[in-house]
Amino acid sequence: MDFAFSDTQAAIRELAGRICEEGVEATGLARYDEFRDLRFDAGLWQTLCDAGLPGVAVPEVLGGSGQGLVELCLLLEAVGHSLAPVPALAHTVTGLLPLQRYATPALQAAILPAACRGERLLTGAFWQAADAPPTTLQAELQDGEIRLSGSYPALPWAAQADHLLLPVRLQGELAVVLLDRDSPGLTLTPLQLTHFEPQAALALEGVALPLERVVCREEAHALWDWVRLRLRAGLCVQQLGAAERVLRMSAGYTSERHQFGVPVATFQAVGHRLADAFIDVECLRLTSWQAISRLAAGENAELETRMAAVVAADTGHRLSYAAQHVHGGTGIDRDYPLWRYCQWLRYQEMVLGGAGQQLEIIGRGLARGEGLFT
Amino acid sequence: MDIRFNAAQRALRDELRGYFAGLMTPALRAECERDMGEGGGPLWREALRRMGEDGWIGLGWPESLGGRGLSPLEQFIFVEEVMRAGYPFPFLTTESVGPMLAEHGNPWLQETLVPRILRGELVIAIGYSEPEAGTDLAALRTRAERDGDGWVINGQKMWTSLAHFSDYIWLAARTDADAGRKHKGISLFLVPTSDPGFSCRPVHTLGGVRTNATFYDNVRVSDAHRVGELNGGWKLITGQLNRERLSLINFGPVSELFNAVHHWAAETDAASGGRVIEQAWVQQHLARCRTLIECMKLMVYKQSWAMSTGQLGMAEASAIKVFGSEAFIEIFRLLGEVVGPAALQRAGSPGANAVGGRLERLYRTASIITFGGGANEIQRDIIAAAGLWMPRSGR
Ligand SMILES: Cc1cc2nc3c(=O)[nH]c(=O)nc-3n(C[C@H](O)[C@H](O)[C@H](O)COP(=O)(O)OP(=O)(O)OC[C@H]3O[C@@H](n4cnc5c(N)ncnc54)[C@H](O)[C@@H]3O)c2cc1C
Repeated sequence: MDFAFSDTQAAIRELAGRICEEGVEATGLARYDEFRDLRFDAGLWQTLCDAGLPGVAVPEVLGGSGQGLVELCLLLEAVGHSLAPVPALAHTVTGLLPLQRYATPALQAAILPAACRGERLLTGAFWQAADAPPTTLQAELQDGEIRLSGSYPALPWAAQADHLLLPVRLQGELAVVLLDRDSPGLTLTPLQLTHFEPQAALALEGVALPLERVVCREEAHALWDWVRLRLRAGLCVQQLGAAERVLRMSAGYTSERHQFGVPVATFQAVGHRLADAFIDVECLRLTSWQAISRLAAGENAELETRMAAVVAADTGHRLSYAAQHVHGGTGIDRDYPLWRYCQWLRYQEMVLGGAGQQLEIIGRGLARGEGLFT
Repeated sequence: MDIRFNAAQRALRDELRGYFAGLMTPALRAECERDMGEGGGPLWREALRRMGEDGWIGLGWPESLGGRGLSPLEQFIFVEEVMRAGYPFPFLTTESVGPMLAEHGNPWLQETLVPRILRGELVIAIGYSEPEAGTDLAALRTRAERDGDGWVINGQKMWTSLAHFSDYIWLAARTDADAGRKHKGISLFLVPTSDPGFSCRPVHTLGGVRTNATFYDNVRVSDAHRVGELNGGWKLITGQLNRERLSLINFGPVSELFNAVHHWAAETDAASGGRVIEQAWVQQHLARCRTLIECMKLMVYKQSWAMSTGQLGMAEASAIKVFGSEAFIEIFRLLGEVVGPAALQRAGSPGANAVGGRLERLYRTASIITFGGGANEIQRDIIAAAGLWMPRSGR
């Protein structure tokens, strides 16, 4: 048992943290508010790619750094902590990872090295809060190629990505395909989400796709489950990064802010509310890293990722309001950074499926006799 | 980063499960049940000695002190398993006072008492609280005065748990009434309960747990019974309390209880048809408890790992105490709802079932550790100060 990061991991963590914080510092986040600018800092993203971070879990022969999920999650934690406007989670967990695990060698060679270098951007349609593969994307075999039709409600980074990894119904069975974003018949409608991240609704009408772009058929369900586990863990650790930042921001602010002639932090009710937030964040840290380290060791971690999701959802909600409250008006002043974090805590809570749904699924597992203490 | 037991640790846990399955005979269980889960009976004593003889109590202690030289993590696995087995292990003696004696005791204490603790021959009670000194422990008034080479102790302690079958009281007394601040001028003594000036009266609590008021009427001890620096007792008190806090939260028993309630719910018919566990709200409750216990488990794992690597943080230790004590209450409530009216029947009541009887009692005992072992308000103060660097008001 080891709760510490290795020297390599600590170095990756430091590097990812520094690049993200400096990148955000340089340009600020205000220009993305209210969708003024597209929330994508291409320069920062390139810097991260040049440092080998998005491809950190990809084998070296495919252009990555040959590390694993723990190392990748250190990048995601840094993104959560800084709110860096980059497509890290979508590109890695819903793109690089499944391709590196499930795609044919030819497809991997064609896509992964360029994607690690930052020349291609990936995204994937794995965000269903309902936790089942979408049934709204259809594929038919026609004259030796595939025709795609249907829709997907909200796909992060769809309009910026070069390739979209899509779970589709191919002749009624689940399959996963890789579609170029500029394919004729593909329409994207940009959406406005609460946290300003670029997302779009996807519509497909008779979009042609060569057969080589089928990533997998027999293993499609396995791929779906495999990505969902990692996406859940990735969202949790991104939530952790944001939560840690909000907690420290609140402790710092209340220590400086004076009322009645003393720092407001000295009021026991204020200290205690943040002490509770400290405990929440500690639980989020432990459950998240447990899930990640188990996945990294090749275990299934179905239950562990869901428990982490429950904690991530509860923590996001409680921390967000505790932080706003102890800041008073400053907390919601748009000239102060807290409010953007609150939007992200909210988004991540919801896209994880919410605590209620995760508890329902854990409870069903328990009723089947799964997840007892050993 | 790898949050799993290694093969040796898993093997140790399995070995301990087998060991306790043999140790916890029906007669011993019945005796512990009778003694309200506190121990003190003859079979309990005998079992404690056997654990000592078999080298378990000092598993994680240095060999030079009579231990087996493994790490605090292995010691933690042992404590979790002994508690899980339902044996009322005197963890305050072995896990908090023992290590303090080993670290701060004079050679006589180290050479005579510490080995006896590890052999399972000694039980020590904690004598801090007084009628007028609770959370504000430094307000204590029991005093020890010089008498030739030794000391004479007079005063009253309150809530001195286990004193009625302990060999010694780890007693905090005022040795300098004129010290400027009340935290100064306190010293720590090991008072033998065999002294004619010592007496003890039971105090019965809601959960059926017996504790005691203890009285010290010209109790005489030699200076060798004093621990650590004269008038430097406060450091020992806080050191002991830090260790106590860490051993108050065990996830072993509560995870075993969870499994037992789960088993009950899967086997029992619901009034509305089907099995209890088939109801959506029951599944929701169980999932919530499962998640709370998982958090508790991870926090205590991390704490024992941190102790092994010397990185234990004050805020983390307080966080476990607050989270664990409050999670217990929530878990007992939710599991009680699952079991329903049976969780209102006393264990001995006709038709009572085993999990219901346990929950009936646990629900009555759960409040103790939210204020005991340092009130949760104080723990939250510590978290805010040590974990978040927030300034605190003077007290
Ligand atoms: C079953 C049992 C076993 C015990 N065993 C032992 C033992 O073996 N040895 C021993 O020495 N003691 C023991 N105790 C005593 C225990 O440690 C005390 O109960 C505890 O320290 C609280 O003291 P008190 O009961 O006097 O409550 P008080 O100090 O009167 O506190 C009551 C409440 O006031 C509030 N409060 C107090 N101070 C503050 C503050 N600074 N900020 C905010 N809120 C505050 C808290 O809500 C607190 O719970 C035991 C108690 C029980 C019930």
